[in-house]
Amino acid sequence: MIKGVSNNRAWLAVVPVVLVVAFSAVVPLMTVVNYSVQDIFDVDTRLFVGLDWYRETLRDPRFIDALLRQVTFSATVLVIEVPLGIWIARALPRDSRATSAFLILLAIPLLIPWNVVGTIWQIFARPDIGLLGVSVAALGISFNYTGSSVDAWITLILMDIWHWTSLVALLAFAGLASIPSPCYQAAMLDGASTWQVFRYVELPRLKSVLTIAVLLRVMDSLMIYTEPFVLTGGGPGNSTTFLSQYLTSMAVGQFDLGPAAAFSVLYFLLIVLLCWLFYTSVMRSEADG
Amino acid sequence: MAGIEVRDLSHRYPGAKELTLDGIDLQLADGEAHAILGGSGTGKTTLLNLLAGLLVPERGSIKFDGRDVTGLSGAQRNVAQVFQFPVLYPSLDVTGNLEFPLRNRGWSRQAARTRVLEVARLLDLEALLDRQPAGLSLFEKQLIAIGRALVRPDVAVVLLDEPLTAVEPATKWRLRRALKTVQTELGLTMVYVTHDQTEALTFADKITMLHEGRVLQTGTPLEFYERPAHQIVAHFIGSPGMNLIDAHVSAGALHVGDISVGPVSAAPGPCVLGFRPEWAEIGEVGIPVTVQSTRVTGTEEGVAVGLVAAHLGDQVVYTRQVLGGSLDHDARLRIDADRLIVFRDQHRFDHD
Amino acid sequence: MVDPVDDRRKAHWSLYVYCVYLLLPLYWLVGMALKTNQDIVGKFEVVPGNPTLANFAEIFTNPVWYQAFGNSLTYVTINTILSVAVALPAAYAFSRYRFLGDRQLFFWLLTNRMAPPAVFLLPFFQLYSAVGLFDTSIAVAVAHCLFTVPLAVWILEGFMSSVPRELDEMAQVDGHSFGYFFFRLFIPVIRGGIGVTVFFCFMFSWVELLIARTLTASEAKPIVVVMTRTVSASGLDWGVLAAAGVLTIVPGLAVVWFVRRHLVRGFAMGRV
Repeated sequence: MIKGVSNNRAWLAVVPVVLVVAFSAVVPLMTVVNYSVQDIFDVDTRLFVGLDWYRETLRDPRFIDALLRQVTFSATVLVIEVPLGIWIARALPRDSRATSAFLILLAIPLLIPWNVVGTIWQIFARPDIGLLGVSVAALGISFNYTGSSVDAWITLILMDIWHWTSLVALLAFAGLASIPSPCYQAAMLDGASTWQVFRYVELPRLKSVLTIAVLLRVMDSLMIYTEPFVLTGGGPGNSTTFLSQYLTSMAVGQFDLGPAAAFSVLYFLLIVLLCWLFYTSVMRSEADG
Repeated sequence: MAGIEVRDLSHRYPGAKELTLDGIDLQLADGEAHAILGGSGTGKTTLLNLLAGLLVPERGSIKFDGRDVTGLSGAQRNVAQVFQFPVLYPSLDVTGNLEFPLRNRGWSRQAARTRVLEVARLLDLEALLDRQPAGLSLFEKQLIAIGRALVRPDVAVVLLDEPLTAVEPATKWRLRRALKTVQTELGLTMVYVTHDQTEALTFADKITMLHEGRVLQTGTPLEFYERPAHQIVAHFIGSPGMNLIDAHVSAGALHVGDISVGPVSAAPGPCVLGFRPEWAEIGEVGIPVTVQSTRVTGTEEGVAVGLVAAHLGDQVVYTRQVLGGSLDHDARLRIDADRLIVFRDQHRFDHD
Repeated sequence: MVDPVDDRRKAHWSLYVYCVYLLLPLYWLVGMALKTNQDIVGKFEVVPGNPTLANFAEIFTNPVWYQAFGNSLTYVTINTILSVAVALPAAYAFSRYRFLGDRQLFFWLLTNRMAPPAVFLLPFFQLYSAVGLFDTSIAVAVAHCLFTVPLAVWILEGFMSSVPRELDEMAQVDGHSFGYFFFRLFIPVIRGGIGVTVFFCFMFSWVELLIARTLTASEAKPIVVVMTRTVSASGLDWGVLAAAGVLTIVPGLAVVWFVRRHLVRGFAMGRV
């Protein structure tokens, strides 16, 4: 990618963005960091405790459990949603009226407020009154997401795929649609197989869209809160309690502001770290390429 | 390599009323460099896509070496194509790009490498073989794309779709020369689509000019220059193109106004007279014209030569000639009587 | 122009399978919206036996509902306009120039999406209360910029990078001022990109619940928050909730409808 001239005055054009984002980002982040090193009894009584809360959080078995669950969940949905989204983008018809219809249909799950998504699946998967639950039961499989943690996980993953695969698909489709047709023609004349067309023509040109799609999915899946809160409430037991829910129960339920803030900072750093590793590895491979 | 025979080829895009191509006949000898010339919307890219097997014709047939390939895909026809913009596989290095078509056809790594080296040597690409496409100039990329089209030794025909469009003007001639060299050296059959007459005239053994989906003329560059079959060809070829002025035939001679410019064997009546700027001279004898401007384009044996523009009635004519002192405002135009070309209903009228 | 072969690719059969998967829960949502609460919780029926529009009637006649709908539209609109307005110059800078820390800056913008809301909500609340914006649409709109702006910058940058630099140079040669060039020549060229950006800003702002809930109390209460409070004496009011859910899809669909052509044509994205 040939980039333009070097010009540090271009920073002026970036100032509005920085201001708008910094207003909402920097102060709250500072506040949270500030909380995380204090023991807060009430507004006036605070005690500086240094890194105690961080140490405590890292030793908290419930934090470790929630973290493991979180990573398992995010990895699972990513591994399914990204290839599935690409598959759907490739399965879409091109340049026809049907394309618009499919795109609009794909966009619908993205436009539904997250609590409604939870509600839909809460009913949809119920073994007594929901289509999914009743259908599965009719097949002779006992399925109850409020009773079995495996069933709860399956329901959550199905819901997340339903909810978010469209995002990957829409972005991937936009990337695919911008590939000029000579690229396909050349591959055809070169005797490339369908797999090779995907591997050598499409995938390299989808890299930047997929990077963003993956980044968005990594972030949002690591922060998932509303949908499982509505659907399973973290249960049965704690089997679907992810980091956000555990954090909320600490911050709101028990009002342990200091530990919760330390938890938040660690949580935030974890997401930033994962995304940074991914981002830089993509950038590096781009520099090589 | 193969000879190509196209018979009565017609194509209509789905939903279109008009035919994009209408009854095209074309004949290419084995090892011929053939240019398809025409402005935009004349159907030349459609013709190329039909040859490439990317489109299925509504009517007509395409034969490679006598074998009917009309219903076959491009891969089955064994054609290669170079596009307007360099089409490369971004994740493969230059060697990977060049050997891609060979490896897909079951060549061993060793054999493919050897062949890639041959082609790279021919195109002067050896220094780039280990590079990634991302860092290369448009010229280098297009050269690699050309290399990939040439790498299969058994390819029936190489199709080129305005391959110099994206290349920087300064390097166009280098690419054209490289292309011409390999074409001759390997004896490739090539079809070269372009809207640029210079490219067509310098590259091709034969040219076909299209207009509104039909063939106006097929012939050698010299024939295009000397004996254009149609007024559009006459005007399109040359810079400036052929002069086309109103004339009429009476009593076995061609007249412009009431001045006879030479004998012709055509039936009496109005017609259009065509002559190249090189075939006429403005001086002291001939048809009265008003000189508008002169432009020096060079010298010949110490004498300035150039282009003269003059008004003949309300038409403009150009001549390319020695710029002597006799070019007054009111001058006379003399046309070489041996090279008169007469057009009737746009088409050349053969009077011999 | 000629669009041979692959551009006329037909839909693959697997797409229809996926669409069924997509549609079934939606069908269930619409079905719920047309049923009474007793029917929803009481029995399993694939087709609503006694369809009723009572749930929709409740939303259209109850000011709490339709005002909340208006509130949501207000902050989403403000957010979308604000995001596009600040993202346009930034995206232009990213697409045309290299500057100190450009890639790091872009990543920093993205990191702001990564703040887990649970604990950041309290500082948010404190911040917006301190500047007197609590319980206003502006507060929600500005807060949502955290995740809409990075995306807007990225999408617009992709579209701008696909516009040849020659356009900028030509305008300069023709003696146009930068303002004239940017607003009269450049923006029309990338309007497809703006359409797509609007869709994504709209989408992420519209569906967000936690921040919207934290920053509003009564005046600016959005529809997503009202939905969480549809608890009547007999428990959750599923029917009305489903009807509201169906209605929340409508504005988004309108936006997609307007940008569908741009989505189809796709956008070449330059930057990661």
